[in-house]
Amino acid sequence: MARVEFKNIVKVYEDEKRGSFTAVKGSSFVIEDREFVVFVGPSGCGKTTSLRMIAGLERQTSGDIRIGERVVNDLHPKDRDIAMVFQDYALYPHMTIAENLSFGLRNLKRPKDEIERKVKEASSILGLGDMLSRKPRELSGGQRQRVAVGRAIVRDPQVFLFDEPLSNLDAKLRIQMRVELAELHKRLGATIVYVTHDQVEAMTLGERIVVMNEGEIQQIASPTELYNKPNNMFVAGFIGSPAMNFIDARIGGGQALLAGGTAFPLPEAAARALGAYEGKPIVLGVRPEHIYGEAMAPDRAGSAKLEAHVQVVEQLGAESLVYFRVGERMVTARVHPELPVALGARQTFVLDAAKLHWFDPQTEQRIVF
Amino acid sequence: MTSKSKIALIAVALAVLIVWAFVTVIPLYWMFIGSFQDSAASAVFKPQMIPEIWSIAPYERFFHKAAAVRWIVNSVIVASVVTVTNVFFASLAGYAFAKLKFPGSKTIFWALLTTMMIPAQVTLIPLYILMINIFQLGDTYTAIVLPAVVSVGNVFLMKQYMSTLPTSLIHAARIDACSEFGIYRKVILPMAKPGLAVLAIFTFVAQWNEFFWPLLVTKSSEMRTIQVGLASFVFAESTDYGAIMAGASVGALPMVILFFSLQRYFLQGITVGAVKG
Repeated sequence: MARVEFKNIVKVYEDEKRGSFTAVKGSSFVIEDREFVVFVGPSGCGKTTSLRMIAGLERQTSGDIRIGERVVNDLHPKDRDIAMVFQDYALYPHMTIAENLSFGLRNLKRPKDEIERKVKEASSILGLGDMLSRKPRELSGGQRQRVAVGRAIVRDPQVFLFDEPLSNLDAKLRIQMRVELAELHKRLGATIVYVTHDQVEAMTLGERIVVMNEGEIQQIASPTELYNKPNNMFVAGFIGSPAMNFIDARIGGGQALLAGGTAFPLPEAAARALGAYEGKPIVLGVRPEHIYGEAMAPDRAGSAKLEAHVQVVEQLGAESLVYFRVGERMVTARVHPELPVALGARQTFVLDAAKLHWFDPQTEQRIVF
Repeated sequence: MTSKSKIALIAVALAVLIVWAFVTVIPLYWMFIGSFQDSAASAVFKPQMIPEIWSIAPYERFFHKAAAVRWIVNSVIVASVVTVTNVFFASLAGYAFAKLKFPGSKTIFWALLTTMMIPAQVTLIPLYILMINIFQLGDTYTAIVLPAVVSVGNVFLMKQYMSTLPTSLIHAARIDACSEFGIYRKVILPMAKPGLAVLAIFTFVAQWNEFFWPLLVTKSSEMRTIQVGLASFVFAESTDYGAIMAGASVGALPMVILFFSLQRYFLQGITVGAVKG
């Protein structure tokens, strides 16, 4: 296994019609040996491009990529000692599953008994034993996905690359495969780089997550750190479901004055840190799960209260999502299902004072204290 | 749609198809029937649709011509070689234009396409001078085959077909340590079989029916292809339609065989299952 290093990587696409487009704007990071790292971000954020540059399917415009001790800038994909699992599985339709699994090793002219042994190993790990003589079209989506993973395993590569491998599966199968992939990582102890646009997948699988947007890395951190200490409004809004609420506010006299007229006193530390914003606009970020109905708020929540007309209630069984408006913005609260909520009624909600985030509206960066 | 109007629609569609099938089959039937009716040396050819007397005399007269078998062999050789070279070169070029990035690919492709707009008659004389006078290839297979080794139309057809194949398979093969030619041979060609079958049949039939060019570049009776050879049954005062029909019937056989041997690929969706569930 090996570490992967990106050093000032820039990728510019030249298009005759649309001109040049910078897909990756100077990325630098290190993926440690045996680490499971997830690239996550919306479409066009540069995550797949980054992965394909590691694979060697795209050449970076500038910067260096290292896999292990080698700079791989000019190496052909086959010489990089990587294996990739594609979004659409990319199984060779005219070959049997066994042939699909062994294709790479046959191209590398490995001895026959070694190929047989590795195919057997991979198929037993993934439960493909009785499908080896079938063609891909005879397999279900989940089975094809396993074959695609198997094809990567038999190569025994230094780095596994996964390009949105679960996005073609239905929800139930996706959760099952997610668990299987996590187990596989433990079992193989492999360096894995995984691309997804699904933040739940990123949070559940990644040891560290690289959040990208518009070609720039927004934050690299563990799932819990991303959740608790997002660098900026983009990360805060992207990680977590439902997304974090942003409420326009002002700071004045140790109080937070929210859009819509609500005010609450700031905890001491926050008041000190936000002193510089006295009289200026600021954005309050609060996750839906940190807003409680007044009747069920824990004591520690503090006195950050706001009143609003409930506009929509979604009963999900284990919880309810309550939507209301604060100023111009719609706010979501994830509350206990037994909280009495009446549609259209004025209701008091309590914000968990310890879990509030404050952002500079200009830079969109989180104000750290 | 109500079931009545649905039935009416199907009836209309069937009627159109029956008429179409009839129009397609009649000439073939006419050829076949005509080849068994002895109308030697008649200036007018009026075969009966249901013949009263069957005769194999036209076939005897056709095969009596010294080079008749040779014409068929020539046609088979020429059409086969042209088919193989077209399948090979057009698929290679089509793959490159569809899936490989190289500088000037679009320009070259459009330049090639532009040549399709030049009528064949325009290039005929220069081509003739090139083959006969400069290369001295008169009366050879090479002269017949060389200009038809690969056609731009076939490159275009293959490019369009290859564009529909999933690029991720090519990337997967590249990561699987497959050489570029290996990708073409082991991944692209097997997936392109339906497209190649269409190309092979079209090319073979077109080359089989080619008349003017083989007529121009061949002199001896031994080097004629079947289409050119059949014309030798047209005499100054009369035409031996029976023998021509017999020759045409014999000459149609290889095409029928080719079609039925490749037919399954026409309908086979070989890429089903390659991508997605």
